[in-house]
Amino acid sequence: MEPLDRDLDHSELELPAEPMMLDMGPAHPCMHGTVRTVVELTGERIVRADVQVGYLHRGFEKMCERGTWTQVFPYVDRANYISPMLNNVGFALACEKMLGIEVPERCQWYRMALGELARISDHLTCDGAMAMELGAFTPFLWMVKAREMVWEVLEEETGARLTHSFGRVGGMAHPPTDGFKETTRATLDQVLKVVEECERLLLGNRIFLDRLEGVGPITAADAISLGWTGPCLRACGVPYDVRKAHPYLRYAEVDFDVPVGVHGDSLDRFLVRLAELRQSARIIRQALDRMADSGPVNVDDPRVVLPPKEEVYSTIEGTIRHFKIVMEGLKIPAGEVYSYTEAGNGELGFYLVSDGSGTPYRVRIRPPCFLITSGLERVITGQMIADVVPCFGSLNMIGGECDR
Amino acid sequence: MPTFKLDDREIPFEPGETIIQAAHRAGIEIPHYCWHPGLSVAANCRMCLVEVLPPPGRPALSLAVMSWDESQGAYVDQKKPKLQPACQQGAADGMEVRAETSPHVLRARSSVQELLLLNHPVDCPICDQAGECRLQDYWLEHQSSSKRMRDEPVHKPKAVSFGPTIVYDAERCIVCTRCVRFSAEVAKDPVLSVRQRGNLNEITVAPGRSLDHPYSLMTEYVCPVGALTAKDFRFKARVWFLRSAKTVCQGCATGCNAFLDHDPRTGAVYRHRPRENAAVNRYWMCDEGMLDYRRIDERRITAAAVSGEASTLGSALDRAAVVLREAPRDRLGVVLSAQHSTEDNFALLGLARDVLGATSFFLGGRPAGQGDDVLRDADKNPNTRGVRELLGATPLGTMPELAAKVAAGAITELLVLGADVGELPDASALSGARVAVAVASAEGPLLSRPYVLLPATGYGEADGTYVNRAGLAQHSEEAVPARGDARPAWKLLAGIAARLGKDLGYRKLTELRGALGGAAAPAGAAE
Amino acid sequence: MAKVLIELVRQHFPGAVLEAHAQHGDETIVVDPPRWHEVATWLRSAAPASMDMLSDLTAVDYPDRDPRFEIVAHFYSLTRGHRLRMKARVGARDGTGARIRSLADLWGSANWLEREAWDMFGVVFDGHPDLRRILLYPEFEGHPLRKDYDAQRIQPLIEYRDVPDIDKVAPFGPHEGMSFGRQTHARRASDDGADTEVFPGGEPS
Repeated sequence: MEPLDRDLDHSELELPAEPMMLDMGPAHPCMHGTVRTVVELTGERIVRADVQVGYLHRGFEKMCERGTWTQVFPYVDRANYISPMLNNVGFALACEKMLGIEVPERCQWYRMALGELARISDHLTCDGAMAMELGAFTPFLWMVKAREMVWEVLEEETGARLTHSFGRVGGMAHPPTDGFKETTRATLDQVLKVVEECERLLLGNRIFLDRLEGVGPITAADAISLGWTGPCLRACGVPYDVRKAHPYLRYAEVDFDVPVGVHGDSLDRFLVRLAELRQSARIIRQALDRMADSGPVNVDDPRVVLPPKEEVYSTIEGTIRHFKIVMEGLKIPAGEVYSYTEAGNGELGFYLVSDGSGTPYRVRIRPPCFLITSGLERVITGQMIADVVPCFGSLNMIGGECDR
Repeated sequence: MPTFKLDDREIPFEPGETIIQAAHRAGIEIPHYCWHPGLSVAANCRMCLVEVLPPPGRPALSLAVMSWDESQGAYVDQKKPKLQPACQQGAADGMEVRAETSPHVLRARSSVQELLLLNHPVDCPICDQAGECRLQDYWLEHQSSSKRMRDEPVHKPKAVSFGPTIVYDAERCIVCTRCVRFSAEVAKDPVLSVRQRGNLNEITVAPGRSLDHPYSLMTEYVCPVGALTAKDFRFKARVWFLRSAKTVCQGCATGCNAFLDHDPRTGAVYRHRPRENAAVNRYWMCDEGMLDYRRIDERRITAAAVSGEASTLGSALDRAAVVLREAPRDRLGVVLSAQHSTEDNFALLGLARDVLGATSFFLGGRPAGQGDDVLRDADKNPNTRGVRELLGATPLGTMPELAAKVAAGAITELLVLGADVGELPDASALSGARVAVAVASAEGPLLSRPYVLLPATGYGEADGTYVNRAGLAQHSEEAVPARGDARPAWKLLAGIAARLGKDLGYRKLTELRGALGGAAAPAGAAE
Repeated sequence: MAKVLIELVRQHFPGAVLEAHAQHGDETIVVDPPRWHEVATWLRSAAPASMDMLSDLTAVDYPDRDPRFEIVAHFYSLTRGHRLRMKARVGARDGTGARIRSLADLWGSANWLEREAWDMFGVVFDGHPDLRRILLYPEFEGHPLRKDYDAQRIQPLIEYRDVPDIDKVAPFGPHEGMSFGRQTHARRASDDGADTEVFPGGEPS
């Protein structure tokens, strides 16, 4: 039998058609960390999308107002929970900016090394998850294995694989362990080897490239208007990296490049992250070379840093110092500050308002991936439904940071 | 008005005032331990040292000292100005004083603080003063360094019981002598003094005596460190969990202003602290008043009852309305309470006079006790004058007069607020009358067999106005949630009126106060 | 610190800048709310400013002040590398009347940022294309980051089951909970006119 429509022009067909609303609901394996996207489809094309976040909103900013400044660290950890060290460092720097103190050099290198390790873990997770969602399960497992190696280093240093709460205003909770340098160097070698293997699997794969190339593009102008920063903005060709543009800690003294994409599509976002991973490894090696093996990690200010435990138990001054800092909180002078660092997803800003008592008045976390997720709508509109997966994966939306 | 300069700021002062007094009035705190605005000057702590610049034309008063010069590796001669204690140095017109802006003063403060902590025991975790301790606060502000002594600190007696209310810890004591001066000057009983010399100094009670004057808890209050602690409050709560409500003491007609410290997480009350009011109690409170916070939880009525059986509040109010409607108004006696606030009594008056048409009013309250010329009043009721002012020209009988009327059969039903029988020894003289409705917060002689018993809130659970013996109307704030089913008495009485079909016109405290008008406005009460 | 940007804005908009400071090196201006959009437009398009990115927009609640809310916007220029914080004060003491013009027509980032400020503080942005809650569900009552919103309050979408002898349904048991912080615990005022046990039939007619 002949096909019904062989001689008919498609425009003459009056088939009933209406757009289909599809709920890619919060409990969806590809909606990382619970995001609900309601898409309106004609056929497979997305006509409109409504991105609904907030399923992981835990009220951090309100909780921060009910404790002391040091008690904010566990909250910022749980913002971008794949790279918590970067959040810790960012918040510690913001408080130190308000106090007007600078941590010793050893601490600065230490913070850089731990921060870049966290960034490696973040990029491994993002790229690995992207691969898995497109069907490449093996590279995901390999990248997670590499991530485990990084987390083992962090566990040795901080006591936890994730959510370390290791940063403190005025320094770190503990000095580096003795084996930190050798272990990290060995881990970096292993991680880069794994990344290389994954690249060999993925970057020559026709299906993988087809699914990412040209998918979900965004222009640089749109990205800037939406407030995008970090790897997603750099994939559009804008070379903005807080570490280069407004260096903090000792980033001005280390050599590293800022990888920049061309098209701003999902493939560029994937590749930018892979390249950044290698740059992070470079930074870490330089930081470890420059970091002293002994010396203070905390600033020498008794109003900010806790005293050593022997002093607390044996002298009255130590007890009073510990008591005042813990029970009443750090007395950061009244005022406001905006401090920003380059976190895994871009410019992580902290807008802090202090009223002079030990309790924060307002802690505003400027979440980079909140703004990036606001651009998801623009990125997927006009794409096909299957493209939502790589697009969303390439944005690296971390629910904890987006919703707080 | 003469002024002097403190750190380039002009401070006005009254002639005869010292620097620290004038600065205190201007809101500037010069750190001090032994000075207290209500006590004489001792000038022994040396924390308030300031640099006073010499008047023009006079040489500076300076001391020859030796200080360590690091670059030379030896002691060198130096001159430093002689600092004056701000608590003792009288202010003079045009005087120039440097405190924060003088490096000598900052160094002196750090040194004094170091000296005070030299032999101090590491007691913060177990000391009740933690969180409100001057040693802690001043260490952080003025010293923030370690002490330079490596010897064993001096050991002295700890946990010495001074009397029925106070425990003394000699190691924590900085011998500021505030307690000694207080007992001698304000309580007029010089039972404390300092013994031994040098770093063995400690406070001691006169031999054969104990610290038992009626203001002993004030010695704990003035103690800037944790040396004197109250047996009543020891180890019960940490002060940073406590919030303070501004209240008025209910112990007697003096109406001392107080802070009621409670834990908002549980609603438990922990202690009183005096609140400064120059017109009423200055800086002090008596022991009875300090311990009077316990009345919030002692012997309380927290559930309604009808004929001795527990009842819900709603049905008890219904019964109360029924029984009052049936009561013969010419034989109904209304007992107001000098223990309850003006608002409570106003509502009772409204219900009794305007709704029920009663004409016989009597004043109940606690019987008179001991007064003195320091603070305590013999009248142990906080609001006697308030009730009298409310009644105005209407005759207000005493409880013995009520007993006479009951014995004569002229009064057979009673509507009472509170549970006290004033000067009567007990309620047996009133047994000829039935207590139809009783609105009370605590148990008392009148409540042996009321027909309807309604639970009222007491002090601390509701706002109230109390007029003290001098006619000053003062507000007492609500602090903790009401216990059980208790409600403010004025609300219960308004509820009865509503059930009798005659709304008193107010449901909220603000409305009641509006109806009360000038009678409840606090006349110049300090906040 | 060179307060170049502050001077520039002052020159172009005399009278619009109510206050300015550069605490910790962050240049900050407080503008008159009616001029909010005007100044922002200039900041975006004028060459000496060229703020191509609105990096953050939020609010802070000062319940003791009048106006109560302070809307804080952070601008960044990728081309010039400078930043500016612009603030405006809106809203009455009781929380009503907090409105300001939306910046969503100038920067795409304003869309979600203003939605969050509305969600958390109740500040209305006039001209916003789609002002609805973003982090909280639509049935939520109140604006949680306001200082008078009790931190202990829970608003479950689905009611909790009534389980006897469970004393941990509220965020903390009675002896737990942080002692610090301004907002500790809500005080239930006994001055409640709608006490139906005492007053039958509720409020008087």
